[in-house]
Amino acid sequence: MRTVTFLPSYRKIEVETGSTILDAAQRAGLNINVVCGGQGKCGKCIVYVQSGKTSFDRQKYGRFFSQDELARGACLACETTVESDLQVQVPESTLIQEQKILINGLEATIDFHPSVRKYYVELQPPTISDPSPDLSRLLWGIQKNGGPAAEKMYVPLEVLREIPAILRHAEWKATGTVALVPGGYRLVDLQENDTAKRLYGAAVDLGSTTIVVYLWDLGSGKVVSIASNYNRQISCGEDILARVNFARKNGLSKLQALATESINAAITTASNTAGIDREDIYEVVVAGNTVMTHMLLGIDPAYMIAEPYVPVVRRALSVATGRIGIACNPNGGLFVFPAVSDFIGGDIIADILACGMSEKEDISLLIDIGTNFEVVLGNREWMFSCAGAAGPALEGGEVLFGMRANPGAIEKITIEPDTLNPVYTTINSLKPRGICGSGLIDLLAELLCTCVIDRTGRINTGIANPRIRTGGHFPEYVIAWAAETDMGKDIVITENDIKNLIMSKASVHAACLTLMKQAGITRREITTIYFAGAFGNYINKKNATIIGLIPEIGVDKIINIGNGAVTGANIALVNRRKRKTLDDIACQVAYIELNAESSFMDEYTSSTFLPHTDLTLFPTVQKILDSCRIAKE
Amino acid sequence: MGFDLNFGWSGSIACVQLGATKSEGGTRRISYRIGGEKTLPFLEKIQGSSSPLITLEICDNPQYWSPIVTNYCGDMVHNSGEWAHAAETVYGADMVRLYLTSTRKRDFSDIASVGTTIETVLSGTGLPLIIEGSNEPKIDSEVFLKCGEAGQGERMLLGTAEAGRYRSIAAAAMAYDHSVIAQSPIDVNLAKQLNILLKEIGVSRDHIIIDPYTGSLGYGFEYSYSAMERIRFSALKGDADLAMPIICSAIDSLTVKEVRESEPAILDDIAVQWEFTTGLAAAIAGAEIICVRHPRTIPLLRKAFGSLTPGKIAGGEG
Repeated sequence: MRTVTFLPSYRKIEVETGSTILDAAQRAGLNINVVCGGQGKCGKCIVYVQSGKTSFDRQKYGRFFSQDELARGACLACETTVESDLQVQVPESTLIQEQKILINGLEATIDFHPSVRKYYVELQPPTISDPSPDLSRLLWGIQKNGGPAAEKMYVPLEVLREIPAILRHAEWKATGTVALVPGGYRLVDLQENDTAKRLYGAAVDLGSTTIVVYLWDLGSGKVVSIASNYNRQISCGEDILARVNFARKNGLSKLQALATESINAAITTASNTAGIDREDIYEVVVAGNTVMTHMLLGIDPAYMIAEPYVPVVRRALSVATGRIGIACNPNGGLFVFPAVSDFIGGDIIADILACGMSEKEDISLLIDIGTNFEVVLGNREWMFSCAGAAGPALEGGEVLFGMRANPGAIEKITIEPDTLNPVYTTINSLKPRGICGSGLIDLLAELLCTCVIDRTGRINTGIANPRIRTGGHFPEYVIAWAAETDMGKDIVITENDIKNLIMSKASVHAACLTLMKQAGITRREITTIYFAGAFGNYINKKNATIIGLIPEIGVDKIINIGNGAVTGANIALVNRRKRKTLDDIACQVAYIELNAESSFMDEYTSSTFLPHTDLTLFPTVQKILDSCRIAKE
Repeated sequence: MGFDLNFGWSGSIACVQLGATKSEGGTRRISYRIGGEKTLPFLEKIQGSSSPLITLEICDNPQYWSPIVTNYCGDMVHNSGEWAHAAETVYGADMVRLYLTSTRKRDFSDIASVGTTIETVLSGTGLPLIIEGSNEPKIDSEVFLKCGEAGQGERMLLGTAEAGRYRSIAAAAMAYDHSVIAQSPIDVNLAKQLNILLKEIGVSRDHIIIDPYTGSLGYGFEYSYSAMERIRFSALKGDADLAMPIICSAIDSLTVKEVRESEPAILDDIAVQWEFTTGLAAAIAGAEIICVRHPRTIPLLRKAFGSLTPGKIAGGEG
C-alpha cells in the first residue's frame, strides 16, 4: 500500500501500487474534474506530483502541457499510476468548482393534494365484547378520521409486525401514514402518539451534473428548504456516455451508490436547514433523464447507448426508498418519473408538466439545452419530441476558453462596434477565467453584428484591430488581455471555437425545424417557446434568436421555466392528480429519431449559418443585421 | 402540346456576362450572356437561348496536368497562348479556362508572371476567359489582384471562391469587374450560404456562377447531379440566392481508375466518353458551363446539345 497526500488540503489516502492518482483522489473525496471519464482525452485532471515515483507517459500526453508545467511535475491524474508514496498538488482549476445552480423553479401555484397523508387515531382498546383484531381497529380509525376506506388499505408485513407493540405501548394513540401507490392505498408506517405534523416529502431533480432537492411540508403544503449538490457521478465521467462506459467497465454499483449518495447529501442538507428528521420524509419524487433514473434504480443502462437505443423501462415506477438506499423513512416511497424514450426522460416529462403545454390548445415549443438537448413541440392533443447531441460547446466544452458557469466565467458580453472592444461581466465579478454558455451566445451574436465574423462564423482577418489576429492554428478574437484575466493569459475565441458553437446551435435549431415539419406547422403557429434548464435562465433571448439557436417568434414569447425538472417533480409530489397524468403524457409524446429522419441533415446544414440559410425564417434578425451593417459602413 | 413548360415557376436565373468585346470595353471576339432561364434546361421555348458553353481547360504548367491530355495536345501545352489559340481555332471551344498551375510550386512568389501569362492567353484567343487562381491562401490575394488587373475590362470569370476563402477573390473581382465562381461541396444549402456571403460583401448576383462541385462519373457524380437539380429547382421556385448559372467541371474524370487502367489503344476514347457522359448529364441537370480537358470531348458535347435544342445552332455563337 502507498500513501498519497493531496495538497493543499493534506488529505491522505492509502492505495495499492499501480492505482491511478485519479482513483486515489476520488477515494480521498476530492471532486476531480474528469470530462472524459478518465480516458486521458480531455486534459482537465491536471495535477502536479511534488515528490515520489509515478508512471506517466509524457510523450503521449505532452500536448496538454507547457514545458514549464511539465518541469513542475504536471501530469494527468487519470493516466498516472502511483509507484511510491506521493505528494500531489491539486490546483484549484482541476477541482470541480461550485457552480451557479438553478434552484428556483417556475413560480406556479400548484393545487395541494399530496399522495401521502398522516392520520392520528385514538382507538378503543379491545375487550372481550369488542374483540376485533388490531389491524381492523386501526384501519377503521384511520377511515373514521378522513382516511381511505379500511378495506382499500393494504398493509405490508413489516408494518403489520409492529402494530401490536406500538398500539399497546402508546396506549392506543398512534399515527398512521397512508400513501397512494399504483396498487392503491398502503399503510406505510405507524408511529406512537401524534406525529401528524411531521410529514415531509422531497422533490428531486436528478441531473447528470447537479441535483436539486425541494423539501416540502406535506401537512401544510409549503416548501421548507431547498438544497443542491453536484452529482458525484461526475467523477466517473462528465457526460452520460462516459458514465455508461464506466459502468460497463467497472460495474454499475459505484454509479448507483454515487447517485443515491448525491441525493442523500442534498436531502440531508435540506433537512438540516429545515431542522427536520430525515425519518419524517415519506416520499421522494425523482425526475431525471432515462439513463440517470436507470442508474439510480440499479438497472443496467448498457444497452441504451447502442442501437436501437431501447430503455429497460418507460413507465413511472414506485419503490420503497429503503430498497434504493435513499436517506429517508425506509418505508417511504420513491416515485420515479416515466420516460418517453432513451433520450426523452423523466426530466422532460417534468418540463412538460411544469410549463403546462400538454394542457393548452396553443402550440408550444419546449427546449431543454445541456450537453444534450431535448425538444418537444405540441399541445394538449399531440406532442412530438426529439433529442440530440448539442455537443458541449454551449456549456463551454470544446471551446478553448469555455468553462462552466463557475465564478470568474464571462456570462454577459457586448462589443463596441467602432473599437471592437468588449464590455463583459463575470460571475461573482471576479477577474475573468473563461467564458460560459450564456457569454458564448452573446459573443457569437455580437461578433456577427459587428461584422467581425461572417455568417459561417469565419473571422474577417482583414480587419485591422489588435483584437483580431491569427493564433496558433486559427484566427481568433481577443476578449480579455492577459493583464485583465485571472491567469495572466489572453482570453480568446478562435474560429474553431466558433465553428463548434455553430454546430451546436445548428443541431438544436435543426431539431426544432424537423419537429415543425413533422407537425406541418411554421414558426408563426408557435405561441410560446419554453426554455428549460439552467442554461435558458441566463441566456439573452435576443442573442439566442440572432444566432439562430431557436426559431424567431419574438422575444416576448420566449419564457424561461428555469429548472422545469424540479418544478415538475414538485408538482408531482404535492398533487396526486397531476402525478397520475404523467404516464399518459409520456404515452402521448411521440419520439422522432433524428438519425432516422432523412431531412435532418439538410436542416442541420441549412442551420450551420447565422442565423440560418433561409433568411426568411428570421425577418427581424435580418433587419437587425442590415442595420448593423449600415452603421458599420 | 398544351403543357406548361414553366410549371408555374416564378423565378429566373440571373444573367451573367462573360467576356467583353471591343464595344463592351474588352478585346474579346465574342461575349456571352448566360442565365435567364425560367424553366429546366432544353425546355426553353425562347428564341436565342443558348446551349451550355463548352469550355476547354488548360494550364500554365503542364506538369500538373493529365498526360492523356498533354500527349494528345503535344508541344503546345508548354505555351499557354498557343494552347488557348488551338482551343478556339482547332478544338472549337466556346471558352478557355486557364489554371494557374505554375502558382502551385512551393514558395511561388513570381506574381508578375501571372500577369504575363494571362496577357499571353488573352492575346492567343478571342474567347472569354475563366482564370483559376492559386491554391494557397497566403498568395491568394496577390494572385487574384494580378489576375483581375491583367484582365481588366475583359469580364473574366475568376475561380474559385469557397466558404473558407472568398474575400480576396471577391475583392479582385469587384475591383476589376469580373465574375466569381462560388464553389461549395455538393450541397444546396452550402451553395446558398456562399452566395449570401458573397452578396454581403458586395458581389452582385449577376457576377456569380455556382460551382456545386462535380464528382466524376462513378465517383459521386449522382450527388453532384442531385445538388445541381435542387439548386435549379430552388432557383426556379423563387430563391434568388440560388438563381445563378452553374458551372460543371468534373476535373477528376481523367484520373479515375477506369480511365487510368484502360488499354492504351482505347485510353483516349474512354477518357473522352467519361468526360462526355458527365458533361452531358450535368447540362441536363442545369449546368450552363461545361468544362472539359480532352479536346475530343468538345465536338461530342456540341453534337449532343445540338440534338437537344432543335432549330438552333449549338454553342454561344449561335
